[in-house]
Amino acid sequence: MEKACIDINELVNVFSNTHGSVYQSDKLNCFYVDFGGKFARFNCISLQKIKKVVEQIDIEALLLNTKRADFELVSFNGCEHIYLLNALEIVALKDLLQGAFTMFKLNHLINDCLFRLVY
Amino acid sequence: MKDLMRIKCLISQDIETLLNQQIKKEAHSSSLYLSMASWCNQNGYDFSADYFTKQSEEERMHQLKLFKYVLDMGGNAISPEVTGIKTDFAGFREVFEDALEAEIAITQSFKNLASRCHKEMDFVTMEFLNWFLKEQREEEYKARRALELFEVIGEEGTGRWEIDKHVNKITYSED
Ligand SMILES: [Fe+2]
Ligand SMILES: [Fe+2]
Repeated sequence: MEKACIDINELVNVFSNTHGSVYQSDKLNCFYVDFGGKFARFNCISLQKIKKVVEQIDIEALLLNTKRADFELVSFNGCEHIYLLNALEIVALKDLLQGAFTMFKLNHLINDCLFRLVY
Repeated sequence: MKDLMRIKCLISQDIETLLNQQIKKEAHSSSLYLSMASWCNQNGYDFSADYFTKQSEEERMHQLKLFKYVLDMGGNAISPEVTGIKTDFAGFREVFEDALEAEIAITQSFKNLASRCHKEMDFVTMEFLNWFLKEQREEEYKARRALELFEVIGEEGTGRWEIDKHVNKITYSED
């Protein structure tokens, strides 16, 4: 199913780590996050929002709190997807999203230099 | 691969974050000036109360100007939460000292933003910021002149009453 989606929509792998991948669809102007057993679609705004939510989780506090399990719900108002993740998975998702955004930045620089600055 | 983030938005995430922080600072200034207006009014400094109310409106206008820019460029403008506004002042003079201090902090904040724009070569935002940089000249000038009245007139006798009458007359002209 995921494989089919990647092929049909000619998805580009933006960034991967051991836990998952972020893909971009130039056809549909959107992103797919393959993580935690989910293949979820995001647009620019929702991807930025989910990244912000993940970055705002205080992982240290989560690990030090002995009164509760280290699980956290990751979502935001209006988000179609909900992740129930433990501390390690949160670290992995954070790494995945930050990696993806670094690649976006790099891609932006390349686009600027190669295509936009040609006279 | 398409540059989707750039297609969506002219400004970078870093600049957007800084502009949102500035929106919050302007909102804070607006509330602070209103708080000063309230204190002045309650202590019988009517002209100063009017002056600070006007300043408060101006800061609100600055906030909205930044807000509109972020949205116009395709960014996410965040309506700020404003907390911790000072409501008690030790005296008439302290109000003006705080006002100048607040303006100096705002000027510094705009300098930081401008420096970030130069680093990123975001000349579009830089050009937008020029209006604010120029505005800060006037804002600091007025706050500084108001505070100087305390030296020139002096607080003794009817001094404060005299100072209050003069605050509203401070104007700034470039030439
Ligand atoms: Fe302002
Ligand atoms: Fe101001």
